Amino acid sequence: MAFLEAKNLTHIFPDGTVGIEDISLQIKEGEFVIIAGANGSGKTVFIRHLNGLLRPTKGKVFINGESITKNITAARKKIGLIFQDSDAQIVGQTVAEDVAFGPENLNLPNAEVSQIVKESLETVGLFDAFTQNPHSLSGGQKRKLAIAGVLAMKPEIIMFDEPFTALDYSGIKQVLTQLVELHRAGHTIILVTHELEKVLAHADRLVIIHNGKLAEDGKPGDVIFRAEKYGLRMPLKEGEEISSATWLR
Amino acid sequence: MAQITFFRYIHKDTILHRMDPRLKLLCLLLLSLSASLAAEPCHYFVPLFIVAIALFAARLPILALLRDMWFFALLIIIVLVSNAFNVPGDPIPEQIFGTKIISWIKLPDTLRYPEFILQSVSVQGVVAGLRFAGRLILILMVCTVMTGTTSLLAFKNTIEWFLRPIPFIPEVRVATIINLVFVLIPVIFDTYTEMMNAQKSRCVGLRKNPFKRVSFIAFPLLSRTLRRADEIVYAMESRCYSETRTRAEFRTNKIDWLVFSVCLAILLFVIFISE
Repeated sequence: MAFLEAKNLTHIFPDGTVGIEDISLQIKEGEFVIIAGANGSGKTVFIRHLNGLLRPTKGKVFINGESITKNITAARKKIGLIFQDSDAQIVGQTVAEDVAFGPENLNLPNAEVSQIVKESLETVGLFDAFTQNPHSLSGGQKRKLAIAGVLAMKPEIIMFDEPFTALDYSGIKQVLTQLVELHRAGHTIILVTHELEKVLAHADRLVIIHNGKLAEDGKPGDVIFRAEKYGLRMPLKEGEEISSATWLR
Repeated sequence: MAQITFFRYIHKDTILHRMDPRLKLLCLLLLSLSASLAAEPCHYFVPLFIVAIALFAARLPILALLRDMWFFALLIIIVLVSNAFNVPGDPIPEQIFGTKIISWIKLPDTLRYPEFILQSVSVQGVVAGLRFAGRLILILMVCTVMTGTTSLLAFKNTIEWFLRPIPFIPEVRVATIINLVFVLIPVIFDTYTEMMNAQKSRCVGLRKNPFKRVSFIAFPLLSRTLRRADEIVYAMESRCYSETRTRAEFRTNKIDWLVFSVCLAILLFVIFISE
């Protein structure tokens, strides 16, 4: 049985625009899946269905065989989402307050919340910024804070929506290192990006969404050679291996 | 906006930062009440002195605060001048303590002091202006200390705590709305500055019609703010936002009670001398 399954997902916006159409996808536990596609292809709309932020016009999402609509809070706890715009995710006035937001929503005892905040910040290496104003952090640190905020919910699956956007080289390396470490620690990773050259080497699977439809789904080595057809930049030069498509070198 | 220091939480480790926010909010109310009850300008001296000590004790960047609050100074001057000229009453006496007021002001011989200005100013107007200015300064200082030493979360938890016993008021929702308003205000200012700069770089200043200029900024700003609000809602929902949340724990120590007692004493003192 698939760990996370999307069945015939279709989303039509109130103005009639088709966001995604009939997408079915199964994700296994511990997998590292990259969802790629050109701008406006429907990647973000698709992943927002996976933790119930958007309700599909048609189709369903299942986690461990159970529809996420049965217990949306449990689903959101299991599937964390890191947004493209880290600033939009900040709700606290200090780093610690922001990380505590999730566990407090789960009504955990205060002592446990403090412990979780400490652990999450230590995991992403932001413990020294405990009392800092989140808006004063660098781009890479803000993204790390967003990761800590999601980690505090103890999710099994972590989804990243365009995590490299607006980051400099060092910021991208920080986020990429974090991402790879989280996968090594046993989390299932779903990464939405079109910047394949930075991360493809670490993925188990590459899914391409084109014009709201599932266009390709397979091993990175098989799919990548058709990527340009869907408006994605080919991350490999001639003769290069998939393992070279990473910025962690 | 990110550089502006007033009405913003500045993390430090001081008595006021550690103080129970419930008592801090009550202190704010007591001092605001003192400001509104004080009858004469001189009655503000004691509360002003105490709040000034609090401002230093909170180790807030006073110079930066003063620099950022220049427009309040402008407001205070406008209030003083308009009261002095508009409130009817007795004219300023020509002599105070046996000395002519005009002679106090040293002006070059080439400049003749327009004495009619002094004749149009009333004593009651000056007193009313000083009273209002004192009130404004005191409230500004109290609010600066309150916001500079209390994080938004602590403030939100306090409001929630005070609203809890009141029936039919969804205290968590009200507190969250207040929290989000404070989170969004700097974001809106940042967006406005960004948009304004973008439009200036495309010579928006050459447009003569002010309504057109306002519409260029107002509609995109509104649409972007609404989109941003949507994103915040999504971010909160994806982190399981719920109204059944972990309740904040408050700790009150002896120093907190002492600060509260001082504020209470100030209020009683102001009431006593005003009578």
